Amino acid sequence: MPDLTYQEKIDLLRAKKLEHTREKQEVVGFMDHDDWGLILPPPTEREIVRTISSSGMPITDVLLKSFKVIPNHPSGGFFGPRSCGENFRKLLEVHPVYIDPISSLAGAYMVNFMSYRNPHWNPDFDYSHLHKEQELYQLVTGIGATQHFCQDMEIGLRLGWKGILDKIRYFRKINSIESFEFYDGLESVVLGIQNWVYRTAQTAKAMAQYEENLELRRNLEEIAEMNERLINEPPRTFREACQWILWYLITARMYNGSGSLGRLDVMLYPFYKRDKEMGILSDEEAIFHIACLLLRDTAYIQLGGYDRDGKDVTNPLSYLILEAAHQLKIPANIGVCVGEGIDKNLLYRGVEILIKDKTGIPKFLGADNIVNGFAKNGYPLEIARERAYAGCHWYGIPGREYTIMDCVKINFATIFDVALREMMQESGCTPSAKELWDRFTKHLRIAIDTIAKGLDFHLEYMHKVFPELVLDLCSHGPIEKGLDASHGGVEFYNMCVDGAGLATVADSFGAIEERIEKEGKLTWQELMYYLDNNWAGLDGERIRLLMKNTPRYGSGVSIADEYAIRISKVFTQMVKEKPTPNGYNMIPGLFSWANTIPMGKNLGATPNGRHAGDPISHGANPDPGFRKDGAATAMAIAIANVQPGYGNTAPMQLELDPSIDNEKEAIENIANLIKVHFDLGGTMVNINVIDKDKILEAHKDPSKYPDLIVRVTGFSAYFSSLSPEFRQLVVDRIIGNG
Amino acid sequence: MVSGIVFDMQRFSLHDGPGIRTTVFFKGCPLRCLWCHNPESINPKIELAFYKHKCIGCNSCVNICPTGALQNSERDGKSYNIEHCQFCWKCVKVCPSEALVLQGKVVSIDEVLEETSKDIPFYKQSGGGVTLSGGEPTFQFDFCFHLLKGCKEIGINTALDTSGFVSWEKLEVLLPFVDIFLYDIKHMDSGEHKRLTGVSNEIILENLFKLNDAGKDIEVRIPIIPGYNDSKENITAISRFIANLKSIKKVKLLPYHKLGLSKPWLFNNRRGILDLEPPKKEDLEEIKSIMREYIDKEKIY
Repeated sequence: MPDLTYQEKIDLLRAKKLEHTREKQEVVGFMDHDDWGLILPPPTEREIVRTISSSGMPITDVLLKSFKVIPNHPSGGFFGPRSCGENFRKLLEVHPVYIDPISSLAGAYMVNFMSYRNPHWNPDFDYSHLHKEQELYQLVTGIGATQHFCQDMEIGLRLGWKGILDKIRYFRKINSIESFEFYDGLESVVLGIQNWVYRTAQTAKAMAQYEENLELRRNLEEIAEMNERLINEPPRTFREACQWILWYLITARMYNGSGSLGRLDVMLYPFYKRDKEMGILSDEEAIFHIACLLLRDTAYIQLGGYDRDGKDVTNPLSYLILEAAHQLKIPANIGVCVGEGIDKNLLYRGVEILIKDKTGIPKFLGADNIVNGFAKNGYPLEIARERAYAGCHWYGIPGREYTIMDCVKINFATIFDVALREMMQESGCTPSAKELWDRFTKHLRIAIDTIAKGLDFHLEYMHKVFPELVLDLCSHGPIEKGLDASHGGVEFYNMCVDGAGLATVADSFGAIEERIEKEGKLTWQELMYYLDNNWAGLDGERIRLLMKNTPRYGSGVSIADEYAIRISKVFTQMVKEKPTPNGYNMIPGLFSWANTIPMGKNLGATPNGRHAGDPISHGANPDPGFRKDGAATAMAIAIANVQPGYGNTAPMQLELDPSIDNEKEAIENIANLIKVHFDLGGTMVNINVIDKDKILEAHKDPSKYPDLIVRVTGFSAYFSSLSPEFRQLVVDRIIGNG
Repeated sequence: MVSGIVFDMQRFSLHDGPGIRTTVFFKGCPLRCLWCHNPESINPKIELAFYKHKCIGCNSCVNICPTGALQNSERDGKSYNIEHCQFCWKCVKVCPSEALVLQGKVVSIDEVLEETSKDIPFYKQSGGGVTLSGGEPTFQFDFCFHLLKGCKEIGINTALDTSGFVSWEKLEVLLPFVDIFLYDIKHMDSGEHKRLTGVSNEIILENLFKLNDAGKDIEVRIPIIPGYNDSKENITAISRFIANLKSIKKVKLLPYHKLGLSKPWLFNNRRGILDLEPPKKEDLEEIKSIMREYIDKEKIY
């Protein structure tokens, strides 16, 4: 039998991936999150549980039957570095080995360690003093949040597992006895990984003996040899580097859901260059190894961008990584940097793939505004340029910055609701839009202060609950200082504070000003009546539509547009006005992630015509149907106008059905749309180029399109894996019927 | 101040000329194409239209109508007697769900320029601009002239999407203010042209010759209506006709689509619209291959 071509192998791997996905859909049901690349354990090993994901969402998950954690607390939980490390090591030591003889890389992860944590928080560390406000404003506080910062993988690529272990042991001797527990935890993790890699090498060896196909046997032997080396040594070749990164990624993913990767093109380049110069690597082979890496984890990757001195780092690998995603066509999270000094061809190639594949890959990153915005926090440009794209909507300085990005959310719509009800219930208060605004900002201030206190609390206690034992290994400081990244281990602390539901509130203010104050079409009391009754009855529906059809945020000249800018400005000012009480910097952004649904579920009807329980608006986006023409340029301008501008993002989520009759023109037009959005101040663009009819068909029967991939928010996923609610959300955005 | 009646302004328009554009749709058209996909553009006056599926049946409109021109109708949801209408449009203002809408709005040149100026950064980056379409833009000649002139004064690239059914004297006046003409050719046989569009094609073809001589950039657009103008003879005749016109930079096929059918109901004024199957990809390829015998293939889209 002749050798398979790389493309044939990739096609086989994709088919296997689809099989895995179908199996996951059958066993765990809907997955309203990143696909992650998890493979289910063997059927006899499965135990199904309901739990909380690393991003705080309730999910169904699968545990390994053969592994049980050992608690160290009366609550039944396990807390602190030693216990977390030891338990995790045990999991790694029993974790099934996974080798696909077609892939050039071994390893896959099968369970989330997070799902074994119950309870998630150590009840000894009490924050009930914050509960009242947290409950009132329904805050996503970030207390107990894991990962969501970016490690520096180059540390690991330089040291290898043994080198990291030596480093831990070296600093254990230097630092005080208080950090022993922490070092125990770190050591356990490394020993667990080494065991996993060792067992994998042994299994590959055994498999090779029984493999009849010569090509596959050769591959298995190479896998065995490579992994035997990697138990201790740092990688030498491009393939070894990909394998090392994969071990790190799936370990981090399994430990606490981390999917940050950062500048893959930069960190792999020295290996690529060396192998090319030695004549032992072709571009086709490089693409294949990258595809094998992307297959096992949907990590967040930046391509192109600036180095410390502002020089473009785009290199041949940037293109090969794009190419790998293009050939693979599975969910992936790859961001292409766009900026004044950055290779424009990368943007054009990215848009071309976006149009051709219709998988929402890649996304686009407004490098200049990210860098200049971050510098406004008081950082030199050289440091600002080091930040790398590493998560749904976020960046981090690799290995030096702790952020819990995407884990702290203030739902503007809840703040608005509290303000509205307070105003209406207070005797002697004459309701007005101005009065409502004043109360909205008053409550927003309290909410931000509550968040700030919560962040301090998190930074004080998280390391005693569930420290960052995997990301610490590749960060600058934690091992050296004997301190967890969540507790002073790294250099910079820039805590994320995102606002959500911007359009819901801007449109509500707009509708109130227009319909109640300007036109007198209803009174405040009537509004409250309709809200409390969720717009029931024919008259309720009439009023609802009247409110909903007020010119909305995004139309460009509406009152709602002015409010959206005002809300973003006041939010930004308040977040930047002062650090947390313990002095940690906070950075504002606008992003709701998948929280639009739960945040809406707990919220009554809102004056923008939204029904009780419906999702709130998405990130910084206008509500679907904000303009009859849904004009992308109108959206691009509106979202550029509401950027907080401190280096965290307010992404534009755009659905395009460009009915392309000329691909070259379409590429030009979409690339220009992206460029101008960034020129105007935008920070990130997520685009679905979609076939409207196909999405509508798939909505009716998702099983018909098992390979249809959509960019949900910052992450991409199989459409068929999403819950009906989430599919509806995507469909509403696409048909824009609001 | 000159004003006119438009029925839509579409931003991020990617199919009406080069780059990212805003298309301004003028109301009023002298042609009566059987396949018209913008039926609301035909009548030059502002008119009432109704989206039945949006109506919640609150009756606010019927109740507020001072003359009884608007009534409930079992068959169509609403009936409208224009002879009884005072054109106060209270019905539209009171409608909460935007089921009753006006097709057409009086706008001043400044208002249009304000809207079209919003996307200037996108025009600059993409080589786009503003396209006047319709309807037939030259049907509101003064408005058309002043809008084109206004755009040029602030440096916006202009395209005029025209049926060509306008006197050369008028077209000539517009020449200095148009960067590119989007020029429809529907049928080469004059009798057939009249049957399909209500007018014969002599003026149209003559104007195209003159535009070509004037050296204006032209994009010829051919609507492809299956069974009506897609015969080999007609495509060959069109291709031969335009083959030697040097100013034609691009020839674009506009395949028939059904979007016209989803437009709002224009009560009694609605004209019959063809309900056809859109042409297949293979058919379009076949047409293009005929055209390539006469026209540089780089120009055919």
